[in-house]
Amino acid sequence: MPVERRRIIRTGVRVVVALAVGAVAVAVVGAAAVLPWPEHRVDPGEVVVAPEEAIQQRVCPGPLLSIGDDADAATELESFGSASVISASSPEDAEIEKTSLEAPENARADEHGAPVVLESQPGAVDPGMLAGAQSQTARTDLLGGFAAASCSEATSESWLVAGSTTLGRSSLILLANPTDVAATVDVRVSGESGPVEARSALGITVAPRSQRVLSLAGLAPNVASPVVHITSTGGAIAASLEQSAIAGLAPAGIELTGPTAAPGASLVIPGIVIGGESGVHADDDHAEGDAFPAVRLLAPGDDRVEVTIGIAEVGGGDGDSIDVDLQPGAVSDIPLGELAAGTYTLRIEADGPVVAAARATVGSAESATDAEAPADLAWFVAAQPLPETAVVAVASGPSATLQLAVGKDGSREASVTVDGRTRTVEVPASGAVSVPVRGRVVELEGVEGVSAAVTYRSATALAAFAVQPPGPLDTPIRVYPR
Amino acid sequence: MFPRVTAVLVARHGGDRLRHTLEAIGTQRRRPDVLVIVLSRPEGDARELASAAGATHIVESGEALSFGDAVRAGERVLEPPTDETDALWLLAEDSAPDPDALGRLLATLVNGRTVAVAGPKLVQWDEPDHLVGLGRTMTRFGRSVPVVPEELDQGQHDHQSDVLGVDPAGVLVRHSVWQSLGGFDPALPGVDDGLDLGVRARLAGHRVIVEPSARVRFAGTGVAGPELGRRASVRRRRDRLARTAALHRRLVYAPAAVVPLHWLSFLPLAVVRSIIMLLAKKPGAILGEFGAALGVMLGGANVVRSRRVLAAARTTGWSAVSPLRLQPDEARRRREAAAEARRIRARGRADDVAFIGTGGGWVLLVSVVASVALFSWMLGAGGLVGGGLLPLSSGLSELWRNAAYGWRDVGAGFVGAADPFAGVLALFGSVAFWAPSFAMVLLWLLAMPAAALGAWFAASRLTERGSVRAITALLWMFGPMFLAALADGRPGAVVAHLLLGWLAYAALGAARSWSASATAALLFAAVIAAAPSLAPALVVGWLVALAVSGRAAVRLAWLPVPALALALPLIIEQVAGGSALALVADPGLPFGSAAPTAWELALGLPQAGWGGWPEAIAAVPALAGLDVLTIMLVLTGLMVPLGLVALGAFLARGIRIVLLAAAVAIGGFATAFAATRISVAVAGDEAVGVWAGAGLSLAWLGVLIAVAVGIDALPRFRAGLGAVLVICAAVAVTPTLGALVTGTATVSPAAVRSVPAFVEAEAEVDPRVATLRMEPLVGGSLRATLVHGTGETLDDQSTLAQTRTELTDDERELATIAGNLASRSGFDADAAVREFGVSFVLLETTPADLGPAAAATAERARLALDGNAALTSVGETDFGTLWRFVDAEADAAATRVPAVTGWPAGLIMWVQLLVLLATLLLSIPTGAGREADRRPVRSSRPRAEKPIAALPAEKAAAVEQVEPVEPVEPVEPVEPAEPAEPVETAESADEAAPEASGAPVDSADGAHRDETGPEASARPDAPAEAAEPDEPTDRDGEAPDAR
Repeated sequence: MPVERRRIIRTGVRVVVALAVGAVAVAVVGAAAVLPWPEHRVDPGEVVVAPEEAIQQRVCPGPLLSIGDDADAATELESFGSASVISASSPEDAEIEKTSLEAPENARADEHGAPVVLESQPGAVDPGMLAGAQSQTARTDLLGGFAAASCSEATSESWLVAGSTTLGRSSLILLANPTDVAATVDVRVSGESGPVEARSALGITVAPRSQRVLSLAGLAPNVASPVVHITSTGGAIAASLEQSAIAGLAPAGIELTGPTAAPGASLVIPGIVIGGESGVHADDDHAEGDAFPAVRLLAPGDDRVEVTIGIAEVGGGDGDSIDVDLQPGAVSDIPLGELAAGTYTLRIEADGPVVAAARATVGSAESATDAEAPADLAWFVAAQPLPETAVVAVASGPSATLQLAVGKDGSREASVTVDGRTRTVEVPASGAVSVPVRGRVVELEGVEGVSAAVTYRSATALAAFAVQPPGPLDTPIRVYPR
Repeated sequence: MFPRVTAVLVARHGGDRLRHTLEAIGTQRRRPDVLVIVLSRPEGDARELASAAGATHIVESGEALSFGDAVRAGERVLEPPTDETDALWLLAEDSAPDPDALGRLLATLVNGRTVAVAGPKLVQWDEPDHLVGLGRTMTRFGRSVPVVPEELDQGQHDHQSDVLGVDPAGVLVRHSVWQSLGGFDPALPGVDDGLDLGVRARLAGHRVIVEPSARVRFAGTGVAGPELGRRASVRRRRDRLARTAALHRRLVYAPAAVVPLHWLSFLPLAVVRSIIMLLAKKPGAILGEFGAALGVMLGGANVVRSRRVLAAARTTGWSAVSPLRLQPDEARRRREAAAEARRIRARGRADDVAFIGTGGGWVLLVSVVASVALFSWMLGAGGLVGGGLLPLSSGLSELWRNAAYGWRDVGAGFVGAADPFAGVLALFGSVAFWAPSFAMVLLWLLAMPAAALGAWFAASRLTERGSVRAITALLWMFGPMFLAALADGRPGAVVAHLLLGWLAYAALGAARSWSASATAALLFAAVIAAAPSLAPALVVGWLVALAVSGRAAVRLAWLPVPALALALPLIIEQVAGGSALALVADPGLPFGSAAPTAWELALGLPQAGWGGWPEAIAAVPALAGLDVLTIMLVLTGLMVPLGLVALGAFLARGIRIVLLAAAVAIGGFATAFAATRISVAVAGDEAVGVWAGAGLSLAWLGVLIAVAVGIDALPRFRAGLGAVLVICAAVAVTPTLGALVTGTATVSPAAVRSVPAFVEAEAEVDPRVATLRMEPLVGGSLRATLVHGTGETLDDQSTLAQTRTELTDDERELATIAGNLASRSGFDADAAVREFGVSFVLLETTPADLGPAAAATAERARLALDGNAALTSVGETDFGTLWRFVDAEADAAATRVPAVTGWPAGLIMWVQLLVLLATLLLSIPTGAGREADRRPVRSSRPRAEKPIAALPAEKAAAVEQVEPVEPVEPVEPVEPAEPAEPVETAESADEAAPEASGAPVDSADGAHRDETGPEASARPDAPAEAAEPDEPTDRDGEAPDAR
């Protein structure tokens, strides 16, 4: 039967062809998946634009103010002394112009000075290499302690994590507008029970080249743990917060706190100086007052945030860690536990953006006049990582110490030049070092990614300010023109 | 009185024809007194035959002389005529006179004293009962026409006597008159020489007659008169010669005063006639048309000489000629007969698509319902945005300007080639001329029905079954890559997918008609314009088709020309710029997507993410536990039936189409995979990859062709299996469908504008108002672009700009300005106003998901812009924060579009228009009967029974089918009875008979898609011949003579 055989043969051939084509298809897909095929990816054209040099500015908050010293004018502000302001720059011999802002609310500004603007002409100072700091010791009936602050850049947004408006605490928000245009400022306060309604704090006008002072108690009375969020349009604002405490009738410390790092999931607070055995366990929900080390945290977003707070002593081991759940919008003060005296680094890892600052006091029951009152308090704000180089002005004060902390990604060989004398400091990965500073101008090199702060400490004085990197405004920017 | 007759025989090829002719001369009852043989570049045995013929003289020329020149050469050796009755008998090697032919011709000359030229009745060499010619005449306008049509000779024309002219072969002409007239006009080498001689003889007062009783068999091999072959090259040459002759005669015959007018009219006439030829599907004649016009226009000396010769011999007026012209009523009768012949020829050739009859209407309904269900949210929208979509320019002039070479208004702008896709967009926009952006809504709404119909029609080329066509259409409509393109807003990919089906339909019919092939060429151009990444695969497919389609290759040759015409400026610019690979960049707004893995590609998924399944499943709590691997396996399982059916197609009849389908599928996959490896366009900081979906569309097409063939071959369960396949495919794309239904897909109804209202208001006063747009990017960089007027449009986009490997000076300058504006800087911000005429700066709202670095950059830019004295804040808008330059001026010089001058723009536009217009004219169907079907024999159903017998039979059918019939030529006596054989005969054991006469080859199930041409039964008297399989193949070489 030739026809039958033909049919069988042909069907067989077709099956073979079908299988062959199927095999080819599988082979093609397999080859596509397995073989290392060449790629062609075009390079997106970019231009790294280094902004042309402009005037650089730093704004120092000005002398400490006291409120309501005069019983006749309970809201009257006045200074009671002047702050010592120093500046630092690279190159060192650059001409730094110091001008004072208008401080119309300070009745004694003529006497004690006003906020100072440090200005360098375009090109005089390397980009970002201008710094300033101020310090002041208070010794009045109502105010006592040591406060130091860095002179900061004016920005359109800042977070102040400090202050308290409970009994015996007073907090002032200092808003300085160094620009030539009026700034419209919105101040939003969050407390331990969530955002505080304060319509009067929205749309505040700060006149060009002047300072405005708000009493936090006026906006958010009786809030133990406020966090202040300041945004401005028009002119930029350099904000700081002055907090003072009175225990009974005795002054219990004063502090001038600059903006903390912008909300982030990973924050570092370098160099928290703990005076003594005054801690409260982190689980203690009823810790009152501020005489114990604590960290203040706020998740400004809309989601709950889980935070891990790592506390490690400088030069010590890995330290402890505390896990916290943050409700969105509500500020939490988390006690850091009973810590031995020393310098600690706080590392905050969260699964959402948070702002943070830590608080500590010095001078416990033994040394103070009042049985419970500490002698001074300080806020340690989160410091943003520095670029490769930085310059730090160290205002005069007791035992000034430069604190350097670095993240997990590797150790740094930092070179620290104090008033011309250079030494090299090894900052281990995930570690921190303290460098005593005897001098006024510190230049740092090789500190990319390092968080830095300057702390002061004596038996009755405690203060700190973070070395914030220069604002990004005059750093080179990558632009894609397509 | 015995007149001396000199026979002048012109020979060239020799062989049997010459031998027969010489024999025929030798057996004349009245032998010619002198025989002169003129050998015009003799070939073969011509010389031997001539010398053996006993000729009086043999004249040999090394050149190929025209008949007139050859006769003149032969006449030169003769003595001058001594008597008026001395005559010349002009013969060619392929004109064999009957034995009494000379006697009868001579009798007319002797009897009629005024008769100067007597012509014989020319009949076909092989079939002497078929007339070739019985004199020629002219219409009133001078067109040369035969006196009687080519038809069966039953003596019905034997009353003819006085004519205007005769065909040159076999003519007996008085020697004295020949000399006084100067012989044939040398300017008419092949065509109309006899007619012209007759006209001049008439004007000199002589008579020209035909003698029907004198019969000459004539083969028409080109020695005397035009060559009568059917080959395209021969026909083109004949057409050109005929047109040259007609134009030459027009200049010669016209009164001197109007000759310049005629001369001037030639080129315009050539253009008009070219258009008509395109409509008449005779594109091959166009070159000859222009060649003829130019040749005659430049050959002025010929005209002068011919006019002088004519005037010298002329004794009477043109009125003497007019009664012999073709009378108008006769001309009309012939036109009607030709039209009737076309109708007969077209019968049965029209596509038997039977749209309604096989359920096409239902497929259309289903696809319309599906489209409305998916895009109901789109009804009432004025435009679409999202993904790769943008509004279109609001003016038609702008739309079309953007489609032509010239100013590319993207960023700072430059002069360059347009993307071909801009032409497609201009076409769409013109459809919705009142609001061009609405065209995108229309495209989206009509995409699914149009795609489904395209696939349905393509399937109609493969199968008669409505169910199989419907399954193919639905599978095509639910292609994952198509839905992904719709959901992501990729206009190019959508257009490519929906046109691929139509392209398959047109291309599969391209061999059938010029109209289909020109349509395919337009679709080919549109598909490549919309998805340039398909170009390599489609061009390879075209080359393969060209190689295997035999005579139909002519029809396919034009296929890529419109695409090339559109893309050539771009190709030249890109290749000159050293980035040829950039040609595959998707046109339109660059819109990246994650590159898929090979596995995803194999499942038809054009981008990573498994078709949205993981997200969709995470949203269903009951299924939340499924991991990705399960999803992958289930998705693969859904596609397996499709692959199995496609492979099963190899068991069906017609393995060639399945192999083709497999090649298309693999080619498409390769294209898609290659696309995932290539990124050529840049948007901001992102190198945008070529979208893999277009290649997958091609692969899907290949798979569906195989599936259609496979299902069609099943004996039963066709609809059931089809339903399973459609359901599997639809389930596989459920997440995409869901996103489209709920309106959560990337594509969404357009906001009314794409710039802030403030800018738009400004644009009403100053249409070119420039806005510097800054967009913070992930990682803290900034994207800075310049937009004019009311924002970017889709037709503005230029792949040339997107794929540049180097930044232009303008771009660098813009980046510098933007970078400084976004920084605290001592930079002179007014440079933006000076260099680019910028009026506004828009800092776009930064979505939270871009991360802190982008937010920081946004903050930095906001602060810098706020603090910049050169800018005033306008405020927050829907699009971001807006600033205005204090020194901005309206209608700034830097924003104006410079006039594009120079010849390239105009030349490019005209060439593109010409090519497109020609293709468009050619694509207009003007009746199937005008043109021949050039399909190779389709053996999609080779018979199991008698393959050996069928083989030569098929070849014979091919011969029959490819015989084109000149539409303008006279009707042949067609008996249209029984155009198609009964179905049973096709399956009967002896199949050779019906096939040899052109019956459908594939008729296993009565499929009579192959037309049964009129040839099919033209010779009902030759069944015996057709029954012998070998006979038709023998006739291969001389097919035209066969009838």
